[in-house]
Amino acid sequence: MENNFEYQPSDHEAEKASNSYLMSLIALIAGMPLPIINLIASLIFFIGNRKGTYFVRWHCTQALLSQFSVLFINSFGFWWTISIMFGPETISSKYIGYIITMLIFNISEFIATIYSAIQTRKGIHVKWFFYGNLTNLICKA
Amino acid sequence: MKKVIFQFVVLVSLFFGLWFALSSINWMSIFKIEKLTDDTEIKIGKTVWDLYKKTEKENKNEKALTALDSIVDRICSKNNINRETIKVHIIIKDDINAFAMPGGHLVVYSGLITASDNPDELAGVLAHEISHIELGHVMKKLIKEVGLSVLISMTSGNGGGETIKQVSKILSSSAFDRKLEKEADISAVEYMINANINPEPLAEFLYKLAENKKDETSYESWLSTHPDSKKRAEYILAYSKNKLKNPQPALSDTSWKILKENAAD
Repeated sequence: MENNFEYQPSDHEAEKASNSYLMSLIALIAGMPLPIINLIASLIFFIGNRKGTYFVRWHCTQALLSQFSVLFINSFGFWWTISIMFGPETISSKYIGYIITMLIFNISEFIATIYSAIQTRKGIHVKWFFYGNLTNLICKA
Repeated sequence: MKKVIFQFVVLVSLFFGLWFALSSINWMSIFKIEKLTDDTEIKIGKTVWDLYKKTEKENKNEKALTALDSIVDRICSKNNINRETIKVHIIIKDDINAFAMPGGHLVVYSGLITASDNPDELAGVLAHEISHIELGHVMKKLIKEVGLSVLISMTSGNGGGETIKQVSKILSSSAFDRKLEKEADISAVEYMINANINPEPLAEFLYKLAENKKDETSYESWLSTHPDSKKRAEYILAYSKNKLKNPQPALSDTSWKILKENAAD
């Protein structure tokens, strides 16, 4: 994670940017059983703030993008679990390995989200590995 | 842009690397999952078999069982299958049928033995059913058809006779998925090749089933649970082509004669 931003955001901007992470944090918890929820929640927040200042837009975009990877990971895990419970699939070491990997990625995302929410609230810019650079490509000043 | 792609590749590799590394740990034995399901399967098998043998007439003729066992012994020993996990039973019934029950119970109808023209045909059907047992198809089918909760309740004695009857009906007269059937066919051919038994008679037997289905109702049993016989015969032949140079019959002429004579005793 890096933390240089082009300008020093105001307190109001910092609060909004921080809220985008809080939103995705809550959505992540609610979305664990049904992964699509966290994407929808972040998307709503993203659309709501698309006309905000650069700092706010930037962090909303990063929060949204970071949801995509867990969306795919969790959806796959979700349907795998369903097919084990109700379908012909059986539990295997491959499945358990997947669930643990999924948990590790979710926890990392969780920690990164909390950290980003705290830092952006202080007006400090937080740029994630991969997602930060991707946001730079998408979100222009 | 390059940096983004590079970081994306790193992230994806990290995910799959972690998954691969974690999958190589034997979680099943750590959590004792396999053992639990094995025990459950054995209990279910015992419950179903106990009720099934009361409703049908079992042939306990030593000579017939010894001959049949020797075919199963040969298939098992050449394919590293624990022989003790397979329990062979002969049921006196004219229908041409054989099926696998949970817990490794392999039920063979006397009708199948008498309708087989040679021991290799019978060995083919046995190898096919053993494949279903070894590949875990039996439990997969039952879980799909009746659900795991019903199966587990059977082991605690709450299942009731009707459920058990339904389970044995599913096992003896309904088909597996085509995918599972094909898997069992291919695996049966491999078992036979390893045991130096010619797999072609299995294909011939399937042709025979397909052609006789209009004339004789007794042919319908194994056929109804094994559709597309002709197609299956074709890929069995294609798969087994030129794989064996000097196959040996599954049983000697004398043992085969004894088995046929005593099958319906």
